[in-house]
Amino acid sequence: MRLYGNKIFMNRFTAIIIFYAAFIVFMAAPSAYSSPDVLLPGYGSESIMETGKEPLPELLIAARSDYSDKDYMDDDPDFLKEEAREEVIRIADPLYYWNKGMFHFNDKLYFWFLKPVATAYRAVIPRMVRTGVHNFFYNLEMPVRFVNCILQAKFEAAGNEFARFIVNSTEGILGFDNPAKNYPELKNGDEDMGQTFATYGIGNGFYIVWPFLGPSTLRDTFGMAGDRFLKPVSYIEPLEVSLGVTGFRMINATSLKIGDYEEFKKAALEPYEGLRNAYIQNRQKKVRE
Amino acid sequence: MKKAVIIFILIAFVPAFLYADMRPMETIKIPIDEGMKILTDPKYKDPSLKKVQREKIWDVVRKVFDFTELGGRTLATNWKNFSPDQRKEFTEVFSEILGNAYLDKIQGAYKDEKVEYVGKEMITDSKAIVKTKIVRKKGEILVDYSMKLKDNSWKVYDVQAEGISLVQNYRSQFNEILVKESPDDLIKRLHKKLEEQQKTDKK
Repeated sequence: MRLYGNKIFMNRFTAIIIFYAAFIVFMAAPSAYSSPDVLLPGYGSESIMETGKEPLPELLIAARSDYSDKDYMDDDPDFLKEEAREEVIRIADPLYYWNKGMFHFNDKLYFWFLKPVATAYRAVIPRMVRTGVHNFFYNLEMPVRFVNCILQAKFEAAGNEFARFIVNSTEGILGFDNPAKNYPELKNGDEDMGQTFATYGIGNGFYIVWPFLGPSTLRDTFGMAGDRFLKPVSYIEPLEVSLGVTGFRMINATSLKIGDYEEFKKAALEPYEGLRNAYIQNRQKKVRE
Repeated sequence: MKKAVIIFILIAFVPAFLYADMRPMETIKIPIDEGMKILTDPKYKDPSLKKVQREKIWDVVRKVFDFTELGGRTLATNWKNFSPDQRKEFTEVFSEILGNAYLDKIQGAYKDEKVEYVGKEMITDSKAIVKTKIVRKKGEILVDYSMKLKDNSWKVYDVQAEGISLVQNYRSQFNEILVKESPDDLIKRLHKKLEEQQKTDKK
């Protein structure tokens, strides 16, 4: 940084803040809409469903006959006792009104902007290319995963990240292809600084929803801010190009999972609570790993 | 001779439930594999047969789920505030909603996908977690099934996808509703949700 002198550094600093906003956009696809993806495993993003008019009434009647009425009479079934002993994941939500507002903002962002643009993009660009672009950006973020493995003393995983990067950058032509998947021993992790903080014993803090970026927590927000320094795209200049790259990546990512968010909403009664809970549960699992 | 002794010992000491019914992994394998077979069956290629295919899959899948326990667990202590009739109605509507939401997804996506059985974890003699992995082009998804031995057969009472438990997720949503509203209100909302789902299905 000294290289640039003070004034330029300040300008750079301002630029970095703006980059941060860009970074938020950049992250939107993987975080705002990936939780539903994991919530509902395996649904198609590319297929259009042809479903019947009535939702299987005959079969459901058949299903009903399986239920024994005695179960419904039991005021204190075994599972309640079991459940009482289970670990319950809770998250404070002091910014509830802000968060809910941002949840709706992201929802509209998806339906009014991201989805239509990504749908058009999908119609023009073949799937192979879109997957390639997705892989390229993933590969480019190796430093984030690598450094966080080191910070968590996961040296074997760090070695795997490095090896994957080498294989995918060369044999996989700058990361567009993913030949590393042919080496099952090179498992890919998904380490980030939020998880690193968690392994140091720092709790979630509270829930927070960012516009463009989606669900997060206080801890994970600091984590993302740290990770930004490890992402090559954050250093692209000028700003317009960086924003452009970021936006492009988001559209590309969305094009690969159109339908996922819709499915999530279809299954949820309270989508806001559902997403919050899914985010926290998923993060908890990643921290455990 | 030695072999015979070992076999005798094995037979004598293996718990009875192993004979009485299949073990959890095998129990879940059958509906999944059968479901996959229906999914990939070329005779359902015609879009007009989607509904038939869907009912077939549901028929296979529902046998291995214990919706009473699954639904009850999402209600948790709220269960006590529900009358037996409300519990019954709740379970019925909720399982329809789950069936609707998940069958769509299964029908849409599993076509080029594979399910691998990663392993099994016995928690107690009558509880187990079966770990599976859905392998798809976009990447893998870990799906764990929590199963319980009930009346001599293993039934699923929770599904965890990438660490997200279905039961815990719905519990958080139902809790949010039941803090402010009555059991009847929740059931009403479930009916409304079902209607919504049916409307989007028609489109």
